Amino acid sequence: MPWRHKWSIGAIAFILIVIAGLVYWFNGLSDKKPLDITVIIKSTDKSIEFWEVLVDGIHEASQEFDTNVQVWGSKAETDVDEQIALVEKAIRGRPDAIVLAANDYDRLVPVAEKVKKSGIKLIIVDSGIDSDVAQSIVATDNVNAGKEAGQAMKQHLEGPAKVAIISYVKNAASHIDREKGVREILSGNPNIELLDTFYVEGSEQNAYLMAKEILNEYPDMLGIVGLNEPTTVGAGRAIRELEVKERVKLIGFDSSFNEIKLLDEGIIKATVIQRPFQMGYLSIKTAVEAVRGKKIPGIIDTGSLLITKRNMYEEENQKLLFPFVGN
Amino acid sequence: MGIFSRLRSIQTNMVLAFVILILMTILIMSITSYYLTKEAVHSKAQAYTTELVKQVNNNIKSYVSGMKSMSDLVVGNHAVQQYLSTEKFNSLAEEKKAKEAVSDMLESMLVSRTDISSVNVFGYGGQFVTGRKDLELNPYIDIASLSWYTKAKEAGGESVISPSHVQPVFKDHYPWVVSLSRELISRDGETKLGVFLVDLNFSVMNDMVKEIRLGQRGYLFIVDSTGKIVYHPQQQLIYSTLKSEMIDQVLEIKNGTFTSDEGSDSRMYTVQDSDFGWKIVGVSYVNELVDNQNEVRLSFIILGLICIVIAIIISFFLSQRVSQPIKQLQDSMKEVEKGNFNIHVSVPTTIEIGRLARAFNIMVGKIKELMSQTVLDQEQKRKSEINALQAQINPHFLYNTLDSIVWMAESNKSREVVLMTSALAKLFRASISKGEELVSIGTEIEHITNYLMIQKMRYKNKLDYQIEIGDSVQHYLTIKVILQPIVENAIYHGIKMKHGPGLITITAEETDTDIYLIIEDNGKGMDEEKQRTILLPAPQLGEGRGVGVRNVHERLKLYFGAQYGLTYKSALDQGTTVYIRIPKSIPSVKEELGCLGDTSGR
Repeated sequence: MPWRHKWSIGAIAFILIVIAGLVYWFNGLSDKKPLDITVIIKSTDKSIEFWEVLVDGIHEASQEFDTNVQVWGSKAETDVDEQIALVEKAIRGRPDAIVLAANDYDRLVPVAEKVKKSGIKLIIVDSGIDSDVAQSIVATDNVNAGKEAGQAMKQHLEGPAKVAIISYVKNAASHIDREKGVREILSGNPNIELLDTFYVEGSEQNAYLMAKEILNEYPDMLGIVGLNEPTTVGAGRAIRELEVKERVKLIGFDSSFNEIKLLDEGIIKATVIQRPFQMGYLSIKTAVEAVRGKKIPGIIDTGSLLITKRNMYEEENQKLLFPFVGN
Repeated sequence: MGIFSRLRSIQTNMVLAFVILILMTILIMSITSYYLTKEAVHSKAQAYTTELVKQVNNNIKSYVSGMKSMSDLVVGNHAVQQYLSTEKFNSLAEEKKAKEAVSDMLESMLVSRTDISSVNVFGYGGQFVTGRKDLELNPYIDIASLSWYTKAKEAGGESVISPSHVQPVFKDHYPWVVSLSRELISRDGETKLGVFLVDLNFSVMNDMVKEIRLGQRGYLFIVDSTGKIVYHPQQQLIYSTLKSEMIDQVLEIKNGTFTSDEGSDSRMYTVQDSDFGWKIVGVSYVNELVDNQNEVRLSFIILGLICIVIAIIISFFLSQRVSQPIKQLQDSMKEVEKGNFNIHVSVPTTIEIGRLARAFNIMVGKIKELMSQTVLDQEQKRKSEINALQAQINPHFLYNTLDSIVWMAESNKSREVVLMTSALAKLFRASISKGEELVSIGTEIEHITNYLMIQKMRYKNKLDYQIEIGDSVQHYLTIKVILQPIVENAIYHGIKMKHGPGLITITAEETDTDIYLIIEDNGKGMDEEKQRTILLPAPQLGEGRGVGVRNVHERLKLYFGAQYGLTYKSALDQGTTVYIRIPKSIPSVKEELGCLGDTSGR
């Protein structure tokens, strides 16, 4: 009897509709399944506060969005091969999303493309790669950060002055962007003479020596911009040693115990810091949204903040400058 | 079968009604009980959170009261008073001794207190004594500008608790602490001597509060009386406005609970006020309060589904029970339609359907009865016809006629003999007339003419007759041999009994629908009693007056209906008039007859 079949099909359809209705009323059960996210950072070295704080943000977000997060990383930031191997391993684990802070701008591109091919969402945090396979990039806008440093330098300089920029390495994207920002603000100013950028080949000691040379060469009003933490601290040490903090205005990037001391002493006039907690938190939040199929922006700027001696102990800045990581 | 026609079926209707009814019930029940459960769990969770927040509050209070009691000790301490109030010491050694007395006292406070970061005394005269001998002052920091210092001065001898902050006072140390500061005043209350500072390692509180999670996403946070955050697990998110907290509302209430209105992200705040100005706040996400919410939902859904399935099965059976006998009844009706009346539906136990089945059975019985009645009527008709035929071949009439013929033959009246014999022959031919039932009135008249001719020859002048039938009625049909018994009756019981000659007149009248044949005699007539009973069924069939007449009456009624038949009008010694009423139209029979007439014409 065919009509009986029709009737039972109708009944089943009716029941299914009712189930759907119930599920809808209960606001979805499937939504609650925890996601698996693998995070691969640049370094698991506990002494690097930046990554510790970033991981803190990751854990905070993973609690809030109910995700199972695994955080991996090569021991040293320079170990590109190990990081590639970690990404391969992560792909084999088939998580819902991978959050990656790339150790190398070029060499991680193939493996990142493999992530995309495997159908796993890729979110880049802090340091990008030369490819657009990532769903989203959560990082500081370094050009903007450079502009902030440039503005600070402009305010601190009185009368005609020369400005030297010290860069850590030659081909790091973040440094190029920061330098671009600094130059954009300072160039075209009649009072300011921008010197060629000095490269210190990835060493704080080199930065110190280089700064000393510069200080000796230019005995007049001078501004120095250190594009990251070691260059800033190296230059700061030179200024402290030569006792020229009145004459030389040092603007730095990032923060560390040494930088804070130099800020306290008044040697560093200002430093531009990032928000690693936000980066970690937003990278997970964005990954979750990407997996859930929500529309996410391609680039999320976590912003930067100018810290001076005057505002360094303000409530809002203390947490950033003095990360409270389990101590 | 289309959907809409199926919707009209009782079974579908019943199943649908049942399912919808049960579905509604289950939905309402589950929703109600779900919310009741939720409510119960909600208040339980609230109580739990309140208890937890109280616990945290007590722990924090114990730390703060520890610091307070330290400050009490220092404020009243003789050595401290001595050291700070002495404007100028006589010698450096004396100054050193006084300072050491203070630092020893402070150091002793720190023994076995890992939670305390430092205990210090800052004199307004620039003196500085700390319980931690390894600490040096940070030369780049202006202590007088720090908030714990200025606030202690403003408070005038009262303890001031700072929010969590970085303490930059010491060289190369930037610890996170909660500071209690208090201005030191000389015993006489006249001179302000300096500020006492005790720093509590914030990690102590941080570790304690950090581990507390209320549900999956819930957490604890602490604000001070000005709304500054002492502790918050997502402090950075709040500073960068990625998150917000209902600080204003928290500050408004002392203790208690409120819920923020953020839709599915609504948060329940449980606030506990500590007596030193801080508020410990537990934040739970409302939709997480029901810890096993998913299981509760799932079990409700599964239970609901099981109930629905059972409901559908039950409703199927129930509706089957109702509709099955109806279907059976329908099948039986189809049988009846086909003509099978020998059917008896078993009466189902359901009252209503049972009644229906019984009524059906009765109906079928009635129909059956009527059918057999019809058959009986037919038989009756045949019988009447035979009777009519018998009436024709009345033996008395026959031998009387033959007697007359013999008598006439003896008298050599050969012409009369021929006439009579041929009339007799015609009479019999007409009455036998091919076995047909219906004949035209014309034929019937011919028949009666022959009959009357014979009788006239027998009775001579005693009998006279007149037949006046117009052509317009000649062709109408009637059953045969209806006039003869009446005429015979008129002769034998009317005219024969009378003195003198008698006259029989046969005429016809017509109305729109009917035809009346009227037989009138001027014979003896009948009394009223006779008139009344002549057409009633006789107790026994047989000879005697009226048998033939009654037969005619019954045949007419059987053939044409109850309103047709004979009517008598009579008066004693006056004569009798008989009206035969027959309908003009019996079309179906007429057609059939026309056809039959054709074949018989050959």
